[in-house]
Amino acid sequence: MLFHTWPFLVFALIVFPVFFALRNTRLWIPWLGLASYFFYGWWNPYYLTLVFYSTILDYTLVALMDHCPLNRAQQNSKDRVLSTAAVVSIALTIASLVTAFAGPVTLRPTLILFSVLCALMAPGALLRSRRIWLLVSIVNNLALLLFFKYAGFGVENLNALFKWAHWTYQFPDPGVLMPFNFPYLLPVGISFFTFQSLSYTIDFYFGKCERERNFLRFATFVCFFPQLMAGPIERAKHLLPQFKTFPPIRIQNFTDGGSLFVVGLFKKLALANYLSLYVERVYENPSTQSASALAMATFAFAWQIFFDFSGYTDMARGLAQIMGFRLILNFNNPYLATGLGDFWGRWHISLSSWFRDYVYIPLGGNRRGELLTYRNLFITFLISGIWHGANWTFAIWGILHAIGVMITRELERSAFYRERVPKIAKQLGVFIFVCFTWIFFRAATLSDALMICGRIAKGVWTDPRAPALMLLLVLAVWLYQFFYESRAREFLKAAPIRVAIAVSMVIYITICSSGAGSFIYFQF
Amino acid sequence: MEKPPDIQFVNEVRLNGRNWIVAIAILVVLLWATPRVWKRIETFEIGADYRIPYQLSKDYWLYERRLQSTSPQDILVLGDSVVWGEYVIPDGTLSHFLDQRGSSQHFVNAGVNGLYPLAIEGLVKNFAPLRNRKIILHCNLLWMSSPKADLQENKAQQINHARLLPQFQKIPSYRADANERLSALIERNVQFMSWVTHLQVTYFNNKSIPQWTLADDGNDPPQYPNAYKNPLSQINLRVPTPSGDDPERGPKSSRHKPWTQTGAAPTHFDWVPLEKSLQWAAFARTLDTLRARGNDILVVIGPFNEHIIAPDSKEAFVKLRDGVKNYLEQYKIPFAAPGVLPTELYADGSHPLTEGYKLLAFQLWSDPAFRQWLPVKR
Repeated sequence: MLFHTWPFLVFALIVFPVFFALRNTRLWIPWLGLASYFFYGWWNPYYLTLVFYSTILDYTLVALMDHCPLNRAQQNSKDRVLSTAAVVSIALTIASLVTAFAGPVTLRPTLILFSVLCALMAPGALLRSRRIWLLVSIVNNLALLLFFKYAGFGVENLNALFKWAHWTYQFPDPGVLMPFNFPYLLPVGISFFTFQSLSYTIDFYFGKCERERNFLRFATFVCFFPQLMAGPIERAKHLLPQFKTFPPIRIQNFTDGGSLFVVGLFKKLALANYLSLYVERVYENPSTQSASALAMATFAFAWQIFFDFSGYTDMARGLAQIMGFRLILNFNNPYLATGLGDFWGRWHISLSSWFRDYVYIPLGGNRRGELLTYRNLFITFLISGIWHGANWTFAIWGILHAIGVMITRELERSAFYRERVPKIAKQLGVFIFVCFTWIFFRAATLSDALMICGRIAKGVWTDPRAPALMLLLVLAVWLYQFFYESRAREFLKAAPIRVAIAVSMVIYITICSSGAGSFIYFQF
Repeated sequence: MEKPPDIQFVNEVRLNGRNWIVAIAILVVLLWATPRVWKRIETFEIGADYRIPYQLSKDYWLYERRLQSTSPQDILVLGDSVVWGEYVIPDGTLSHFLDQRGSSQHFVNAGVNGLYPLAIEGLVKNFAPLRNRKIILHCNLLWMSSPKADLQENKAQQINHARLLPQFQKIPSYRADANERLSALIERNVQFMSWVTHLQVTYFNNKSIPQWTLADDGNDPPQYPNAYKNPLSQINLRVPTPSGDDPERGPKSSRHKPWTQTGAAPTHFDWVPLEKSLQWAAFARTLDTLRARGNDILVVIGPFNEHIIAPDSKEAFVKLRDGVKNYLEQYKIPFAAPGVLPTELYADGSHPLTEGYKLLAFQLWSDPAFRQWLPVKR
């Protein structure tokens, strides 16, 4: 279900009033969980089992971790929960292995994988090791991601490699592993809910958050509908405490939430969908396009993806705000960044901070000298690139950003760059570099991306026929952002200006929106 | 109550309660007033024999306006492309020939190209606020000629005027997601939304403004003539009038010829029984709606091109036609069932050619039921 469609309006008109009506009962959390499951199931009810499985496993693992205190001396060697866990995991391992070979063939791969997971859990219980529970959570979440997101890509590349080496063996399509021959689809939002759930187990392991004993509350945290599909990726220590008691609701929740929602709706319906029409036209067949059309489409894509994704998060934050919950800021006018590091502090903030906290810092961050810092940056950005999708283009995109961050890091060391280079030049430099990297993000294949770069560099510059209205809208937003971060901000604060902008946005959406396309980040 | 921590904004479009009240008030006024003001400022020229131009068929807001522009004494001829005149020009339609023979009555072509009973039902319910009028409702049996025509086939079809269909009734051939169905419902009920469709249909070639700015000219390589145009300059506040010289229609067009000259042969029709037909059920509901609004209805059945029906399916056709007659008799609804026209006066299974319409009008005028139904001359 998409926020900018009519079914969502019907959904909201049912969910919100019931949610508020339940404020004095304990039913508001089950209601929120139920609504979130319905919201996700609208896309594909089969994949609800995946969300539920991921939730129940991480909930159980943290509960088991809780029985293995950080200090081994405090451990109770006769902990009945851990003993039961050991017995259950051994029994489940055997049972799933037996069923795998005696039961339906279509279930065999799933049951074998499940038995491996259970077999991993048994030593966790026997050795009373928090680390093993954490490992199981990481393995499970990453395995889900790898299977649904990367297995097809991996098999395709391995088969190509085998063919190149004249080996006759070819791996089968990963879809054959699906139980009951269910369609092998990329579950919407898998990268988001697995990361959110994983952050809970990691944070609990390091003692950064408390264990959530209420399963329904935890399940609602994992699948909270405003941010389930495309983030922001929330941390347990930020969102879970908000689910402890019914949030205080004031008029401001509605006015702020409504403002965020309208801005997000405008970004999506009026801008992102419009830009996508031009971008698709050009990128659909880049070899026939002129250099200017390719450059213009890349510029348009830079804004399309920003409006699409930040529009989604604005709507998500607005909806959560109406219910009294605060989701973190995910985009902070990133195209005004003066450096690549600054850009990543403004673009998809919840993901970049996730990678910073769970990849970059554990790798050593910037604590072990320049060389290792750059290695850590490189690895982090490479993983971040691959997180976006199973294609070499995303890996290159990540690497280019790593290089960009390293270069701007070095540049910022020089006093000349810091003090003499005008801010606007830095902003334009960063924007142009980011646009260049979007070529790799948007192109269907690596060879397409390279061809586009080549054509832009050497090609003929002719009239790109980009609609003037589209460019005018983009420039208006860009100018607004510049004003917002300048002294002219005071002018934008005037009530008539704010009301006029909001009214214009709604009128524009009503008259000129260009269809209800899905969000780009749903595929990640 | 504890004050919630402030949420972070990265723009100034943050309205407080008072701002919202002002914004909503402005929006409500704009949404309410725009379509109404538009009717006053947009030129809509309706000449003799006016019919909604083919390219504006899906502009239901304009259709409603067209009906509102008729005189209460006018007799409306309502129906699908048979009434509209698929193969003929405006002065070759049924309403034209009825008009020619009528001394004091004026017949208005209220047909729309591409309609069918299920869509007519939606049009009548939502965009034809007709009360206490005299209406001729055409019943085209073609829509019951097969499960496919009756929209009963259990596979998706490209359906014309799908936005007029009942959105939450099971129609096996109509597949649309919930968003499409709900947006159709909203368009019907919020005048502003149907006015937006009017803008798109009338000035932007059935496209949204963004799509129009990106439209190509169909050449290879394509050109994009609208890229630098100002969309507002397209809105000239004048509804396009139908072109007098339509190359697709009228005696001069290559399409205007008897069905026997098109290579068609008598065909077997898999007629859907009346009691199982979705289209007939919709037709019956339309009759109910119109009558409940105090309208005086005369149903004209066919005349279907019986020459095109293979002998093995003729009996089922007769049964179906008799079933329609029986229904109308049972509910005391006046009707006329003109006899079949000569074979050379049909362009296909249901559409007459110009001479066919002329003969049909003559037959109707000769029909006592029709004459009795007409208003008494003053």
